Amino acid sequence: MAVNAVHLESDAFLVCMNHALSTEKEEVMGLCIGEFRCIACDAFCLSTNMSSIFTLYIIPLNTCHRLAEMTGRPMRVVGWYHSHPHITVWPSHVDVRTQAMYQMMDQGFVGLIFSCFIEDKNTKTGRVLYTCFQSVQAQKGSEYERIEIPVHVVPHETIGKVCLESAVELPKILCQEEQDAYRRIHRYIMTLSEMGKGVQGLKSLKTTALELSVSQICLFYSANVSTLELCLAHLDPITKIHNGSVFTKNLCSQMSAISGPLLQWLEDKVEQNKQNIAELQLEKERLILELTDLD
Amino acid sequence: MAASISGYTFSSLCYHSANSNSDHEGFLLGEVRQEETFSISDSQISSTEFLQVLEIHNHEPCSQLFSFYDYAGKVNEENLKRILKERRKNVIGWYRFRRNTQEQMSFREQIIHKQLTHILGVPDLVFLLFSFISTANNSTHALEYVLFRPNRKYNQRVSLTIPNLGNTSQQEYKVSSVPNTSWNYAMVIKEQGAEFFDKDGVMKDIRTIFQVYNALQDKVQAVCGEVEQSERLKETFQEEVNKLKKQIALRKSEKEEERRLSQVPEEHKNTYLAYNSRVVCPGNAAEEYSLENQDTSETPPPYSEVIPLDSTADSQETSTAYLPRPQAVGSSNYAPPSLGAAKFSGNGDGSSTDSSQGTSGNDDEDSSEYENLANEPSESSDSEFSQLAEGRPASLRPDGDSRNSQASRI
Repeated sequence: MAVNAVHLESDAFLVCMNHALSTEKEEVMGLCIGEFRCIACDAFCLSTNMSSIFTLYIIPLNTCHRLAEMTGRPMRVVGWYHSHPHITVWPSHVDVRTQAMYQMMDQGFVGLIFSCFIEDKNTKTGRVLYTCFQSVQAQKGSEYERIEIPVHVVPHETIGKVCLESAVELPKILCQEEQDAYRRIHRYIMTLSEMGKGVQGLKSLKTTALELSVSQICLFYSANVSTLELCLAHLDPITKIHNGSVFTKNLCSQMSAISGPLLQWLEDKVEQNKQNIAELQLEKERLILELTDLD
Repeated sequence: MAASISGYTFSSLCYHSANSNSDHEGFLLGEVRQEETFSISDSQISSTEFLQVLEIHNHEPCSQLFSFYDYAGKVNEENLKRILKERRKNVIGWYRFRRNTQEQMSFREQIIHKQLTHILGVPDLVFLLFSFISTANNSTHALEYVLFRPNRKYNQRVSLTIPNLGNTSQQEYKVSSVPNTSWNYAMVIKEQGAEFFDKDGVMKDIRTIFQVYNALQDKVQAVCGEVEQSERLKETFQEEVNKLKKQIALRKSEKEEERRLSQVPEEHKNTYLAYNSRVVCPGNAAEEYSLENQDTSETPPPYSEVIPLDSTADSQETSTAYLPRPQAVGSSNYAPPSLGAAKFSGNGDGSSTDSSQGTSGNDDEDSSEYENLANEPSESSDSEFSQLAEGRPASLRPDGDSRNSQASRI
């Protein structure tokens, strides 16, 4: 069942844009939460780790429940979005195949792509594009092809609570990814089947990309019998200082590029809203007087 | 000159523009500073250049068009002062969002710009122009933006960058140390390097920066809570204002009805009442009728009232597939004026001017005024954007090819 159209509420659109414009070096992705008529009421930012998409599919359930409580309508994950920095807005064949996989779980699932950081050097014109699509089996062969779905950004004068929470979730996700990367560097995980090779297995580590020497690895068994954890305690202080500095540098970069501007925008929004509320209060008083005069 | 705008400010601009049923404009707040750059070349030992850097920190959206100028483009200083208040000193430019227009300043915008330059006392005031275009089936949309420096004779267009995280990959981490058998090296780095680590062997800087990050995130959460509260309060006030406006409109129409009844002779009253009951439809139609006849300074009804969210699935499928887009020229889904455009712009002709100042009817060169007239045949085919002028982007075709008639596109 192809979707006729997608309504993307403007506050969810805001969250998607914030996320897409957060980095020009990598594609980011997230999920869209809404109702079966494909109204995306919220955008949920996901980790940039594309391989974990299926695991993270269940995480927005809390957001779905909260949105359902607030709106009084059943909410669920209705689509996914990702960014195409510096490249065309059209989905790649991988994107089309990924979309087809999602549609196997849910025929109404839609895909959104935001193309950003594009500039025509001659005319100094920047562009941000977005498109909506689904996948359909090609007539010939087993490949999939894209079908276009109309998408409309529906005005929403105020930013919903769930969208605001999604927006401030991004720095947390980035920090978590950085911590995971730092911890991953200091651990090397192998499956027990690989360790079953015994000493031979250990010696074979010499030929891996990591180029570890057997004598520098200390082994210990974790509580989980199916995995074995190797601790790289061999790094010299200079390397540890280097890695710590990389972590510090990356976190500083996140704070200055994401958290700082986010905080600035939030503070400006508070000021703007104060002004709007004052104007609305005056308007309300004026209208009450007018209504009283009419009566 | 280099210019930058944060992703959050840019997204906020897009958000306000998306919420607007017509053109949208506002002011850009920020600062201009000079950066000194050094370069070394074969001909010179050192070469110093001064680069002007314009940073857009925030924007001040105008609630409606013509809020600080009139149809002739004359700027009203009092209104300008009222809109900007103490932010006036931070103004570095202004912006305009239009749909389906050329990436050039209109004549009125040029006139306004000259006056703003003089009134605000900013010699190099900039103008940021947004143009929004869509494919005929509304599946793909493009927002184009150009930053102008109209007060300069040359190099009037400036590149606008959006600073971002850049490379988030963690490839800079080292998984192994460089092999070194020098015992002096090992001794020195162990003794001196110990300063960097705490008693648990964790680098002190990591803990410190993490504390800074946590403190910042706590602040972000706290201010987010304030934003959320203010958004809900704004929502409440907006609903009350809308409700009052409806009540006033209803009361006015009732009074008008009473006045007409009192003027009609007794023997014709029954006929008059029967006629009016056929003209005035039940439900919201009475409000729509009164809304269309009331003072044009009233804001149009919310978008949600136009889309019948409680309608049946069948009618919903039809209406959502062909959602009226009052400003999408060339769109096959363009709605007839009686359905959508009249409600949004008040002009009844689908034009994008704000209805608060009455109908435009101007034939000036402001492309937004006559760009979006109803039933205007589009110059382009249904399957591509119109190629309006030099420097226009490539047309987007529904089959996915971004064919480019100019060499410099994507």
